[in-house]
Amino acid sequence: MYKQVFKLAAPVLLVVSFAMGLTLHPAVAADTPAVDETDAAQFARGARTWADTCARCHNMRDPKELRADQWRSAVAHMRVRSGMTGGEARDVLAFLQGGSDAQVGLATQGLAVAPVISDDTNAGKAIYAQTCIACHGADGKGSIPGVTDLNAGDGPLSKTDEELVRNISEGFQSPGSFIAMPAKGGNPTLTEEDIKAVLEYLRVEFGE
Amino acid sequence: MKSSNRWKNTVISVSALLITATPAFAQTDASRIAELEEKMSLLSEQLAALQSELSQVKTEGQTATAEEIQSLRTEVGAARQIALQATQRPNVMTSTTSTTHLSGYASADFISPENGNSAFTANFNPMFHFQWKDKILWEAELAFELQEDGETEVELEYTTIDFFLNDNIIFIAGKFLSPLGNFRQNLHPSWINKLPSAPPGFGHDGAAPIAEVGMQLRGGVNVGTNSKITYAGYVGNGPILEGEGGEIHGINAGGFAGDADGRKVVGGRISYLPFPRLEIAVSSAFGDAAVTEDDGFAVSGDPLRNYNVFGFDVTYQWKDFDFRSEYISQDVADSALSISPEGGKWETWYAQGAYKFANAKWEGVLRFTDYTTPHPDLSQEQWAIGLGYLVSSSAMIKAAYEINTGLTGEISDDDRWLLQVAYGY
Repeated sequence: MYKQVFKLAAPVLLVVSFAMGLTLHPAVAADTPAVDETDAAQFARGARTWADTCARCHNMRDPKELRADQWRSAVAHMRVRSGMTGGEARDVLAFLQGGSDAQVGLATQGLAVAPVISDDTNAGKAIYAQTCIACHGADGKGSIPGVTDLNAGDGPLSKTDEELVRNISEGFQSPGSFIAMPAKGGNPTLTEEDIKAVLEYLRVEFGE
Repeated sequence: MKSSNRWKNTVISVSALLITATPAFAQTDASRIAELEEKMSLLSEQLAALQSELSQVKTEGQTATAEEIQSLRTEVGAARQIALQATQRPNVMTSTTSTTHLSGYASADFISPENGNSAFTANFNPMFHFQWKDKILWEAELAFELQEDGETEVELEYTTIDFFLNDNIIFIAGKFLSPLGNFRQNLHPSWINKLPSAPPGFGHDGAAPIAEVGMQLRGGVNVGTNSKITYAGYVGNGPILEGEGGEIHGINAGGFAGDADGRKVVGGRISYLPFPRLEIAVSSAFGDAAVTEDDGFAVSGDPLRNYNVFGFDVTYQWKDFDFRSEYISQDVADSALSISPEGGKWETWYAQGAYKFANAKWEGVLRFTDYTTPHPDLSQEQWAIGLGYLVSSSAMIKAAYEINTGLTGEISDDDRWLLQVAYGY
C-alpha cells in the first residue's frame, strides 16, 4: 500500500516543489557580484562550511586552484552533490573567491578595501575568530587535516613577523603539507593592520 | 618650496595609482577596458597639464592656490576610485550571465593479480559545467576507459540540467548518478577514493545502482544551529535484468534511455548530520523490472517482477581520522513464468578506516568488504590495505594489496597488488 501512495505522491511532489521554487523564492544567489555582498562574517561562515562539508568526501582543494569565476560553477556543482543549502553555497563561494588568484592580485596591489577592525590584540582575536578559526581551530592545532599546529615550537610562529605578515598576506603552503592557506585566509578585506593585529594575537595566544 | 614638494608628491601618487591599476584593467571585459582607457587617457592629459604647471611653478617660484590643490585632490580621488573598481572586477562576472568550467579526473593504474598477467591501464573522466546566472547548471561527465584490446570505451556517466529552485530545493533532469548510497555518487572518482579499487559490489552489475535516467529533487535543510538534513528523491526508468542460461546474471542499473519493462522506479536517500563531521543516511527504491536481455539477445514480454533497493551509510571524521561504512542491496522477486524464473539478492557492505600522518602527506587505509550474490563465483570477501601519498590535495599516488576470498579458481579468489596515480583537475 505504501508503495502505491509513494508512487502517486512522488510526481505530485515534483510538480508542487517546482512550482513553489519558481514562485516563492529567488534562485541560489542574487545576480549581484559576490564581492559586493561579502563581509567578514560571511567569510567566516564560508570557511567553516568549506571545512565541514568538503572534507566529508575529499581532501580540501586550494582556493588558488581555480579562478573566481570557475569557483562559481564548481561550487554550484558541489552544492548539488553535497546537499549544501543556497546560503551555505554563497558563503563558501565568497570564501573561495576571496582566496583565489584574482583576489591575491587585489591584495598584493595594496588596494584592498577599508580596514575591518583596528589593530590591537583584541581586534586580532576577533579577526582570528572570524577568518582563521575554521581551519586553525580555537586551540590553534588545526581543525582539518593538513593544517599546521600553531602551538608547535618549530611551527609557523617561529618565523619573523615580517615573514609571517607576508605569508598571511600572500597565502602560504607549509613544506610537507598538502593544503595551502589562501591569501589573507580567504578574506580579502583584511588590511595589513588587521594582519599585524591577528599576528599579535597569535603570538600571545599560541606563541609561548 | 614646501608647496612645491606637495605638488610633486601628489603627482607621484597619481602616477603610482595609474601604474598599479594597469594590470587589473587587463582582466576586465572589453567594454570596461575601453571605458577605463578613455578615463586613463583623460587623466593622462590632465596629468601632463599639471606637470606643465608644476614646471612653471618651479620656474617662476609661484605657489598653488587653494582651488588648484582642491582640483588636484579631486583628480586623485577619481583615479583612486577607478583603480579600486578595476581591481574588484576580476572577481566577478559583470557583463556575462554564463560561466563555464572544465574539470574531471584521470588515473593510470598498474594491476598485478596472483594468477594472470599484470598490466597497466589508464582512463580519464572529463566533466563539464555550464552555468546560467545562479539558477541553472548543466553538468556532464564522460568516462574514457582503455580496454585490453586497445579500444577506447566511452560512456556517458551523467548529464543533467539542474534548476536551483530555492535555497533548499534543486530540480534535476537527465541521466544522474544514482542517489542511493554514498560511494557511487560521491566517492568513486579516483582522486577521492582512498584505494585504487572500488569495494566489491559497487561496480557494474553489482549490488549498488550506478545511475538513473529521470527526474530528481534534492537539497539540504539546516536543523537548528549545527544539524542538517539532506535529501534526494527521484523517479526514473529503472534497471534491466540480464539473463544468462536461465538465470538472472545481474541487475544492470546503469541508467537507460529506454524503459523496456514500461514501469518506473521511485527512490531516494535521506541523511541526517547531527554535527557536520557525522553523516548517517538511509536509501531505498522500489519498482518493477523484467528480463530484457538473455545470453546477449533482446527479450520482450517477460513478466514484471518486484525490484527493491535498500541502503545504509555512515561517515565520520575526527581530526586526521576518516571512517565510513556502507551497506546496499538490490533484489528482484521470483517469477515463475519468466525465462529466468529465479530471482535473487545482490548485497554488499564495507567498512573503511583511513588515517593521515606525516603532516597529512601520507594516508594509510584499511577496508573490509563482503559481497554476496546469487552466483557463488562472483561473491567475494575482501581485505584491502593501502598507502597513499598526497602530492597535492587532488593528486596522489596509491598502492594497495587486496586479499580476496571467493570461489576457488575464480578471479574473485585472486589476491592483487594495485598501484594508481590519480589526479582530480
